[in-house]
Amino acid sequence: MNVIEINKLTKYYGKSRGIIDVSFDVKEGEIFGFIGPNGAGKSTTIRTLLSLIYPTSGSAKIFGKDCIKQGEEIRKEIGYLPSEVFYYDNMRVIDLLKYSASFYKNVNKSRIYELAEIMNLDLKKKIDDLSYGNKKKVGIVQGLLHSPKLIILDEPTSGLDPLMQQKFFDLINEENKKGATVLFSSHILSEVQKMCDRVGIIKDGKMVRVDDIHTLQSANYKKFRIEMKEAVTAEYFKLEGVSDLSVDKTTVNFIFSGDINKVIAKIHDKTISNLIVEEPDLEEIFMHYYEKEA
Amino acid sequence: MNVYIQELKMSARSAIYWTIGMISLLAMFMVMFPIISKDAALMQQVLSKFPPELARALGLNTLDMSTLTGYYAFLFTYILLIGAIYAMKSGISILSEEIREKTADFLITKPISRTAIVTAKIMSTVTLLLLQNIVFIASAFIVSGIVSDKPFDKNVFMLINVTLLLVQLFFIAFGLLLSVIMKKIKTVLPITMGVVFGFFILQLLNQSLADEKLAYITPFAYFDTAQIIETASLKGNFIAVNLALIIIFTAFTYIIYNKKDIPSV
Repeated sequence: MNVIEINKLTKYYGKSRGIIDVSFDVKEGEIFGFIGPNGAGKSTTIRTLLSLIYPTSGSAKIFGKDCIKQGEEIRKEIGYLPSEVFYYDNMRVIDLLKYSASFYKNVNKSRIYELAEIMNLDLKKKIDDLSYGNKKKVGIVQGLLHSPKLIILDEPTSGLDPLMQQKFFDLINEENKKGATVLFSSHILSEVQKMCDRVGIIKDGKMVRVDDIHTLQSANYKKFRIEMKEAVTAEYFKLEGVSDLSVDKTTVNFIFSGDINKVIAKIHDKTISNLIVEEPDLEEIFMHYYEKEA
Repeated sequence: MNVYIQELKMSARSAIYWTIGMISLLAMFMVMFPIISKDAALMQQVLSKFPPELARALGLNTLDMSTLTGYYAFLFTYILLIGAIYAMKSGISILSEEIREKTADFLITKPISRTAIVTAKIMSTVTLLLLQNIVFIASAFIVSGIVSDKPFDKNVFMLINVTLLLVQLFFIAFGLLLSVIMKKIKTVLPITMGVVFGFFILQLLNQSLADEKLAYITPFAYFDTAQIIETASLKGNFIAVNLALIIIFTAFTYIIYNKKDIPSV
């Protein structure tokens, strides 16, 4: 069964593009990664699902119900965590969470304390006095306290330290095991890879494709920057799987896909002064991964 | 109900401050009444030196300052002005605040319809307004009783006071409509002041020019205190216009807010 069904959803803000003909489904019980660079239309899609904004054309259904006509009904079962959280500054955390809980029927109040405990959140503080990361925790608790059937996360990890990110991922996984479906938007491929079953990729307002995560994982791109002691020729690094190779005297840059040991073997007997291996950003992956397909 | 209570909590403090402000102004004016009423003849003489247009604009020509109701009607113009500013500010803020403070995402993604949000917010504003009016009118009666040694017409006095609520409701409704039409309101007070003083200046013009039709375009002209004192009644046609406009503004507020895109943070 599909929890989310998006059909040719289009949104223009006046003349500027939001999203164009976006269609995809999210199945019940899965964690669906929704990735794309900033400004690609992730938030626009999510905000339409939550009827914060209205589509120019197309439609979206959640739990088989129309997002606009039956929005109120649908939102009973949704937990939403926006990328940037803002709450009423003068309220204390516990009051905000109780206010949030008051919108839902049959909320188990002890769940608030349980979640706050896990996220290490001080309930007595005023919202105004919280750091950005702590506000984010408030966002996580208010998004999960009613045990929603669908969890929508819009770039949820910004502002959380790695330890909290891990706790947060554990929480989401736990909810997912209990049956919650998750729509997880991010521009960081690695965190999506860790969590998700399937991913949808959006670029310039259009869905590029929807893939099984394993398909993406097999294309394991790494971005290399090697500073050699002595100048080398470009020829030296012409390996299978190397692309975007640029050599400027002693500095070598390229993107590599394949067995990393092959690169290591190449630099093994050379003296290098620096070596940086990074995850390429999404733009770069799009470039390489989709150039072939197009 | 939860949104209604939340709104009450968030706006109560401001309502209290504004009410205290109005009562302070009232008290300040009223303590001067015994002196002014005693020297009414002298006052009248001073006022007669005013250019007639100015006297008309300020409503001084028709009010008998030696009586309590006459004097009260004169100062009430300024009470009305403050009350209108408060109402307009509340009207503009109550929906736009969520967008300005970026809390709209929180509220609108809850299982509550936008119609219910607007209703809860209007109800809470009107509740505070009613309380403000009750407290203010009670204070006005008490203060007037203290400063006036002669009995005054309680009926007329009450009618003058009732116009505060009627004008305030107009400004709330107008503020609400403005707030949903405008895309994003950065600061509330400048718009509030601009609109309220705009209407107030129209009223000064209206009184100065004594043009029948001009009176319809500013709520400050709907309830002429001099006429209330004279006839001990409010004019039905202006009550009707006032109420009709309030209903129209409110209806459009609901319609527009229901279709509005919430700007992302």
